[in-house]
Amino acid sequence: MSKARLRIAGGAVYDPANGTEGAVRDVCIEDGRIVAELPREAPKLDARGMVVMPGGVDIHSHIAGSSVNHGRRLLPEEHAADPAPAPRLADPDATPRSGTGGTIPSSFTTGYRYAGLGYTTAMEAAVAPLAARHAHCELDDTPIIDAGLFALLGNDDYLLRQIAAGEAARARDYAAWVLSAAGGYAIKIVNPGGVERWKAGGRNVTGLDDAVGTDAVTPRRILETLADAATALELPHPVHIHCNNLGQAGNAATTLETMRALAGRRAHFTHLQFHSYGGERGKSWKSAAKEVIEHVNAHPEVSADVGQVMFGPATTLTADAPVEYLLHASSGKRWVNVDIELETGCGIVPYSYKEQAAVAALQWAIGLELFLLAQDPWRVVLSTDHPNGGSFLSYPELIRLLMDRGYRDERLKQVNQKLVAGSALADGLAREYTLSEIAIVTRAGPARLLGLSDKGHLGVGADADVTIYANDPDRAKMFATPRHVIKGGVVVVEEGQLRRAPTGRRLRVQPGYDRAVTRDLKLWFDGHACVAFENYPAVELGA
Amino acid sequence: MTRRTVEHATCLGCGCACDDIAVVVDGDRIAEARNSCPLGRAWFADGSVPRETRSSGKTVAPDVALADAAKLLGRAERPLVYLAPDISCETQRAAVAVADRLGALLDSPTAEVAAGILASQRRGRAGATLGEIRQRADLVVFWGVDPADRYPRYASRYAVDPTGLQAPDGRHSRRVVAVDVGPSRGAADADERVAITPEDEVDALAFMRAVVLGRVTGDGTVARAATGLATQMMRARYVALVHDAEPSPHGLLHHPDRAEALIALAQALNGPARCALSSLRAGGNRSGADAVATWQTGFPFAVDFAPGYPCYRPHAGAAVLLGRGEIDVALLVGSPAGVPPAVAAALGQVTTIAIGPRVSAAPFRPKVAIDTGVAGIHEGGIAFRMDDVPLPLRPALSGPSVAADVVRALAARLTKGQS
Repeated sequence: MSKARLRIAGGAVYDPANGTEGAVRDVCIEDGRIVAELPREAPKLDARGMVVMPGGVDIHSHIAGSSVNHGRRLLPEEHAADPAPAPRLADPDATPRSGTGGTIPSSFTTGYRYAGLGYTTAMEAAVAPLAARHAHCELDDTPIIDAGLFALLGNDDYLLRQIAAGEAARARDYAAWVLSAAGGYAIKIVNPGGVERWKAGGRNVTGLDDAVGTDAVTPRRILETLADAATALELPHPVHIHCNNLGQAGNAATTLETMRALAGRRAHFTHLQFHSYGGERGKSWKSAAKEVIEHVNAHPEVSADVGQVMFGPATTLTADAPVEYLLHASSGKRWVNVDIELETGCGIVPYSYKEQAAVAALQWAIGLELFLLAQDPWRVVLSTDHPNGGSFLSYPELIRLLMDRGYRDERLKQVNQKLVAGSALADGLAREYTLSEIAIVTRAGPARLLGLSDKGHLGVGADADVTIYANDPDRAKMFATPRHVIKGGVVVVEEGQLRRAPTGRRLRVQPGYDRAVTRDLKLWFDGHACVAFENYPAVELGA
Repeated sequence: MTRRTVEHATCLGCGCACDDIAVVVDGDRIAEARNSCPLGRAWFADGSVPRETRSSGKTVAPDVALADAAKLLGRAERPLVYLAPDISCETQRAAVAVADRLGALLDSPTAEVAAGILASQRRGRAGATLGEIRQRADLVVFWGVDPADRYPRYASRYAVDPTGLQAPDGRHSRRVVAVDVGPSRGAADADERVAITPEDEVDALAFMRAVVLGRVTGDGTVARAATGLATQMMRARYVALVHDAEPSPHGLLHHPDRAEALIALAQALNGPARCALSSLRAGGNRSGADAVATWQTGFPFAVDFAPGYPCYRPHAGAAVLLGRGEIDVALLVGSPAGVPPAVAAALGQVTTIAIGPRVSAAPFRPKVAIDTGVAGIHEGGIAFRMDDVPLPLRPALSGPSVAADVVRALAARLTKGQS
């Protein structure tokens, strides 16, 4: 099938960014983009009776780079249990690749499986700039999907020094330089200050005003500095924040305080479920989803992805190394810790969320509460923080939970009731997501939050990333097996089979900065770093 | 020709991957590799490499060699693809693709450090990049290794001498303990030495862990030494526990449980203190082979593609299958000099295609040999430091052929042959 032209004919189109909600119309593609019209003789794909949406966009996922690969190396038994033979591709010159799955699939299998799920864009959400070169290599071996990476900042020594010295402008220039050098797309903050304290002496921060090395540096100052930098640099996506105190009972207070600290500034709060716990540390757990989501609802400058927990195997994998230490200490499970010089950390613990475990059931319920109580689907979008809350392959099941109240209520009855009793979910949340709302939380919303103006919609000029589903009343089945997926105008999935695997594009930003910062950085590298300043950038920097 | 200098070159002479080398080139030879250690100087040497392309002992055109290689591999019943050192990650990626296409067994010198990898797959690990050890460590324990021998700049660049955030006075901010395990001596420049016999090594590590976990105190010589050392480690702020993951230079076999005991101790020390286990690895981008295999297949070494997908065969890798006579054709990519002796000897017994630096001079006499440059001297790309930090390569000279290009050309022929 030619890449040049294709008419997707007669499907029910869900293109919420352009106000289309199930209208039956044709979608026309030419040279990888959506066009208004095509000549009558253009090739046709019969989509009658089917649902047509833009390709899925994953705003937060861990799919490539040094931490992900440490996790992969840790899971030989998962890989052995989930072999993935090479797909049979239509192009005889193509080199289809075999691989393995599990919660952290091999790179080629990751690309194939995302595409097979109807996703055409994914963001790798946590890359140490020092190891960005590695992440790019893996993304080069992850076919089909367009991908970007978020550069980890907020525990890096150079930044903390600038904050301590009150050098906000230099901090901003540095953020721009490091984002460019990493070939990154957005600034990611993970447990601001907490990872540095873990490396300095095995402790974490507990709140926004704890001193990090010096009283002049606190999580609050780090958050403000980087949020302001992202705004000043006019980045397409605001700061992407993993708050302090992840996974702790009572952490909703920290989450809300963080939101208030950044009031008026644009900010994206990631895997909000892991930050919406009430109760008291070491004593009790309960849902605080309602308080947290009400704040989000009332503040249009705030956005979030949910980080839903799904029952089954997961691998917890984060730069928030002190959290993984605690998880290891309490669970006794395998544990990887890697302290990353002058920048960040890495912690990994394979995990399983069990329906009969009280806390896992509560986490599951809190994620659903966030979804069901969110008033604006454009600002509260879908993620499982793959593979932390579960694999991206569990998205179809999650979609069914959102769309089908009967199913959801049945599932709720099967989980441990100890902590979910009295939650909003247990009291009965009637809401059922519509197909249009699903299209928002899985493509249109994430694309808009990421500032990807050519993605997440089917308007003229958009990237021709399109997913076509059979309109199955079993929504899990429908979303697990799209009939056709088109990426950049190429039909990659045909009649449910992966048939083509083009190379995806890399999404990156190159914000401007005052070059004077590089002189200071060079001095700092010479004095402190173990990699030459000249060898640090993962991608060519403009002159 | 005039002299020119390539600054910030990365040396792959050992796993330290020092990236501060200034390579001075005079004509088509390296005159000097400034800042490098003796190992690095030997690795760069004058940069000359053979430039042969041979098939069945005769010099042939590259196309002929590739066609012969493709034919041999296409007919192979049980092929092996072996990732030897001195190739970039780009070449490794292309070679794993060939193994996938052929349904071959894929292996590399990573198999030499299998005990440590298998232990880390059972337990995880507590580690740090080398620069973080520089920043934090106030206690450095060299466990049966003096890095001066095989990792000459480890002490001056990372663990001991340089200043760091929490070691403002460099060496003077740190305490260094050398643990001598039989003939495997710890660092010469130590504030304290502890001697343990190889027979007692694993027991001592287990005992130290038990002390750290607060479960025992002991009498007896080993117990006293172990208790003293464990107590010191618990009282430190950040311990770097340094050991050599590579096979012993003394020909001693490490106890099979040693790697796991080291990991377990390092993990247990996180709690009372912070601790990173630093596992020393040799050079030539060996760590890259394990990283690339992991991301492309899910497994770090000994990956069998025969069933049509990657299977992990850590106990039936290249050495075992060659030894059993199961392999009929081998594709070696990289430097023959870096191939473990048992594998190198066995390669002489099978049909071998070799692509890499100095393969035309390989003692096992490959059927097809295509000389390429050395990654980092003649070829660019990416290589991994022993701690998985990726570094760029800055070639000072141009080589005979680029290994990644040759492997990709071979892959293209194999694809064409099958369609």
